[in-house]
Amino acid sequence: MTELEKALSELTPAQAAATNWVDGPLFVLAGPGSGKTRVLTTRVAKLLAETPDKSFRVMALTFTNKAADEMATRIEAVVPDQQQRATIGTFHSFCMQMLQQHGSHIGINPNFAIYSLESDRADLLKEAIRANGLDSSDERFLGTIDKLKARLIQPEACAKLFRDSDIGQRVELVYSAYEAALRSANALDFASLIAQAYRLISTFAGVALHYRRAYAYWMFDEFQDTTDGQYRLIKALAGDGFRNVFAVADDDQIIYQWNGASYKQIQRFRTDFNPTEIQLPTNYRCPPSIVAAANRLVVHNTQRTAAKQPLEAGKTTLLYPDGQHINLLRYSTEEAEATAIAAGIAAIPDIKRGQIAVLARTRALLERMNTALLNAGVTAAIAQRRDDFRSAQFLWLAAALRLAARPGDRRALDTLTGAFNRWFDLGISSDDIAAGAEISGRSLLAEWAGAIGFGEDNQANALTALATAFSAQPTTFRAFIDQVLEKLPAQESEAATDIDEDRTAWVSLARSIGQAIGRDAGLDQFLQELALRSKEPPVSDDAVTLMTIHSAKGKEFDHVYVIGLAEDVLPSFQSVKAGEQSAEMEEERRNCFVAITRAREWLCLSYADRYRGWPKQPSRFLLEMGLNLPQAASA
Amino acid sequence: MQIKRVTIANFRSIKRAEIELGATTVLIGPNNAGKTAILEAIRIALTRRWGLRGTGFTEYDVHLCAARTDPKVGDPVVIEIEIQEAAVGEWPEELHETLADIIQLNPVSGQASIIMRVSCAWDDGEQSYIPKWEFLNTDRNPLAGKGARATNFQEFFSFLPVFYLDALRDAGDEFAARSQFWGRLLRTVQIPDPLEQKSVRIFNLLNAKLLAADPLLGNLATSLSDISRVATTGTPGQANLRVLPLNTWDLLSKAEVIYQNDDTKPWLPLMRHGQGVQSLSVMFLFRSFVELLLGELYRADSTPVLALEEPETHLHPQAARSLFGHVAQLQGQKIVSTHSPYFLHHVPFRDLRVVRSGPDGTIVKSLPREFRCRVPNLPGFAPVIAASGGLLEYDGGLSELVIKGSLPTPAYNSLLVACQGQADMAAMHVRLRAARDASLEFVPDEDLQKLETFARRIRGEIFFANKWLLVEGQSEHHLVHGMARAMDFDLDEHGVAVIDFANNGNCGMFTALARALGFPWTMVVDGDLAGTQYIASVQGRNFSPAEVAQFTRQIAGQTIEHQLVADGLQPELKAILAAQGVPGVAAMDDAALIAALSGDKCGYAAELAAQCAASLPLTQRMPLAIREAIETLRGLE
Repeated sequence: MTELEKALSELTPAQAAATNWVDGPLFVLAGPGSGKTRVLTTRVAKLLAETPDKSFRVMALTFTNKAADEMATRIEAVVPDQQQRATIGTFHSFCMQMLQQHGSHIGINPNFAIYSLESDRADLLKEAIRANGLDSSDERFLGTIDKLKARLIQPEACAKLFRDSDIGQRVELVYSAYEAALRSANALDFASLIAQAYRLISTFAGVALHYRRAYAYWMFDEFQDTTDGQYRLIKALAGDGFRNVFAVADDDQIIYQWNGASYKQIQRFRTDFNPTEIQLPTNYRCPPSIVAAANRLVVHNTQRTAAKQPLEAGKTTLLYPDGQHINLLRYSTEEAEATAIAAGIAAIPDIKRGQIAVLARTRALLERMNTALLNAGVTAAIAQRRDDFRSAQFLWLAAALRLAARPGDRRALDTLTGAFNRWFDLGISSDDIAAGAEISGRSLLAEWAGAIGFGEDNQANALTALATAFSAQPTTFRAFIDQVLEKLPAQESEAATDIDEDRTAWVSLARSIGQAIGRDAGLDQFLQELALRSKEPPVSDDAVTLMTIHSAKGKEFDHVYVIGLAEDVLPSFQSVKAGEQSAEMEEERRNCFVAITRAREWLCLSYADRYRGWPKQPSRFLLEMGLNLPQAASA
Repeated sequence: MQIKRVTIANFRSIKRAEIELGATTVLIGPNNAGKTAILEAIRIALTRRWGLRGTGFTEYDVHLCAARTDPKVGDPVVIEIEIQEAAVGEWPEELHETLADIIQLNPVSGQASIIMRVSCAWDDGEQSYIPKWEFLNTDRNPLAGKGARATNFQEFFSFLPVFYLDALRDAGDEFAARSQFWGRLLRTVQIPDPLEQKSVRIFNLLNAKLLAADPLLGNLATSLSDISRVATTGTPGQANLRVLPLNTWDLLSKAEVIYQNDDTKPWLPLMRHGQGVQSLSVMFLFRSFVELLLGELYRADSTPVLALEEPETHLHPQAARSLFGHVAQLQGQKIVSTHSPYFLHHVPFRDLRVVRSGPDGTIVKSLPREFRCRVPNLPGFAPVIAASGGLLEYDGGLSELVIKGSLPTPAYNSLLVACQGQADMAAMHVRLRAARDASLEFVPDEDLQKLETFARRIRGEIFFANKWLLVEGQSEHHLVHGMARAMDFDLDEHGVAVIDFANNGNCGMFTALARALGFPWTMVVDGDLAGTQYIASVQGRNFSPAEVAQFTRQIAGQTIEHQLVADGLQPELKAILAAQGVPGVAAMDDAALIAALSGDKCGYAAELAAQCAASLPLTQRMPLAIREAIETLRGLE
């Protein structure tokens, strides 16, 4: 049996119906644990495997690089010789590729940099404001600019969208100055990737035509997270004629409303494409009691597909006996809650801890939990996107790479100098180096290495020598990376330091980037891909994962703890204020729905009577789930 | 799929050249002008080889000139190949899909194009010439991301395989078992296994019987077995004689083409036929290869690119004349160089590229249909374009103003005015001016049609000439040849084509053609009204008054005969007429003499020309305008 036949044979009839879909629009409404990602990857593999003599391409877009990597790995395993016909990525990476290839029509050079750091963007805005003689207090408009970009609004004439015409004028000026500064730095920020791709497609019909000609089938995972801007991009790309759009979504898992995700996008898709709909209600992940609780919970929402079938429990082998799958615990205070949960986790053997997650609505609760686990001697990590490295060593390495690609990048010089100063306890001023470079005409990297000179520290000397050689030959960046990695201090203690975390992160990043662009890609592309990705290290096998519910989407664990199930926490204070019928409350309910459906074997829900000293009622969601509340707080 | 344009810089004799290519493009020009350099540039650019050092370029490929004597120092060799979809949908789906990552777009129409650049410069670190292949975007920047992956080249080249048949092709080599077409054709032949086994059995049996037939053969085999005792140690080997092939491939590899001229002649192997048949056979072999095997070896949608040098080699003129039709019908894109006027006979004018060497390296001239200028679409252009009656268009996808003919001054001025207020107005003006100047050389289809009709007979001759002398008729044709010889400027030796335009169309179109293709020219016409009109018609071709004054001359008299008489050549003329048996010559007055000579009905001009050739004093008495025209030719470059 081939890999594909094997994959196909494992599908249920409903999954197979979605997988075998060929032409025309399809909307797959799939609950948590229903195997939707499997449906998607198997469909990609099947489309390609069945047409070995064809050359059409298939694209599948999702929302995180990690999900995209997993999908690509799976497809490569099933159809290794057809894999180059599949473009698997995120919306951002897809837009990045489009702009690399066709951006010239809107003045974008293929080797653009991606500014993923807020600090880079803030600096850029500050400079743009100064250079244009604008009011320095207008730096506060960066968030406004992002909102405009997310709505795909270009700076020209954006003033008229503001009620206050004075503010509107100022935003337009600042936005224009910011965009001009990005252009002259040959850089794009995250929001620009989508906004500029949309601008390209909506200005030039020929570009969308190219994608319709080359890509015969389009697939979108986690479609419920699509923002207005992303949806309009898809629509503009498809035009009026393209129909082979396949979207997988769960309207009960929209938890990015604050970021622009909305049930409206699903409705627009239905209106614009008139897709056939297939539901995958069977849940193969959670024990039946969790499925039942999730069903009881989510029917309280109104903003969802009217004809949506309730989840069906499909899991057949259970680790624990009936009646033990959901545990509800009550504590007096949040401290007691954290301590008790930590103690409970400490009782679980090390080797199982990689399959334990503690989920909470807020980061503050996770931090308290992290401390409690640490005190209980349990290794844990808060999983969260990192835009940058943390150690001086890796900040220095990344800055050196960036400076080699863009020899005049002042911000990279600042990072490089700061990181190296921190590393070797030096006091070199990046201003002096920039001034020196202006006189000597050398690149900033070469000038910096010259300024460090030859000192007492052998390692510092070796690194500056490497940097000097590298600044003359930026194409040798892979060798440079290897040489620098060799010089980094090895892990000394049990507890992972920033360097260790960054090193682990770097290894996994390098693998992921290699998979995306190959081993012969240039430095510019390497940096583009690096900017797109989180610098967070993968969690080790013996560590407990702490996650906000938002980060937990798409993940699953054997043991899941959801803490802080109290009014004003989950549901949040704002949603309670907005009222039971509010969109905010529905979003909170979906948060709870997502949280409990992460559990493969065992779910522990907990709440305290007091949070931050204030008495709180148990979460209404506990009652909605039909659980019996404990009469008294546990010790 | 077709190469639209090749741009070459710093390659051999070429400092910089841009050559537009069609389905069939014919390169003509003197030896060493750069024709082969163009063909080789295309071949090298489309045959990247991996992992092989030094393939592609050597130091002899770098263009050298007074300003650059060291091939290791200076700008790199650059060859850019641009292919473009003629209309959306021209390219097959497979191509569009397979090459999706390198395709560039006319973003308005969606027409696809691919731009590939190979550049090569000396690398001090590697101590070698390092070539670099890359795909470019429309701004000529290298593509990043997936477009920069090396796998794209294999795919791209598989759609555009290039084949080179050089002038020295040898049918013996081309029909060898390891050759590019014949060998590959033979190797694809599949003999069913049973037949193969049966053949081998029969070969073996027959071989044994033949060896047994004469003891000499058997003894020979035995004595040859001693080889192994010397050559190897230990295991004793064996030698045997083989008079028959070992297997069917052995047999097939010796297959050869036999050819019979006609029913009455014997069948003979190709190699026993004349050079012409052999040369021709190679081209038809290429055709068979393309038809039978190309899709299998490359892709169903592959477009073969054939670089073909001098297809006329060793061919009879009549065969050369019909050859162009065969070449044009070959599948794929053909770029052909030729030295044969006969081959040129049927080549459409717009497919011609005249290649010659100039002071700054190779120059390539052609007869384009349109001229393009990269300028932004300024609001002020719209009314000028609207009023141009189709002459002007704006190509929004490529951001180019398109001029489909000669741009008249008023429209040109309006375009200049429309640029006012733009930050880079000066640069736009420079580009507009260059495009306008180029457009003034436009030769319209009607002219080329006329040339096809009237001048087919002389096109071979004139396109292989160095300079053109335009005269009205047959008499002048004779006279200029004779006079020039006496003036020590033999027209044939100096490659001057004398065009008697009155019999071959009109002079205006010849002068326009000469300018567009870069042929230096001069013209001499009669002093009558017709002559004045001829000069006016030249003026009407966008020549400046200074150029008209420099290159055109009118003889003082009404006609050449009037002028000869006016120049006091009556005695010579009368003698010639008398010798030709014209009655009453002696009594003729000037008017009668002129009447007798007019139209050269009596062929006097040939005789007078012969006398001129033999006598410089006589030539010096001939009409001044003609002598001046010859002197002008001598000075033209």
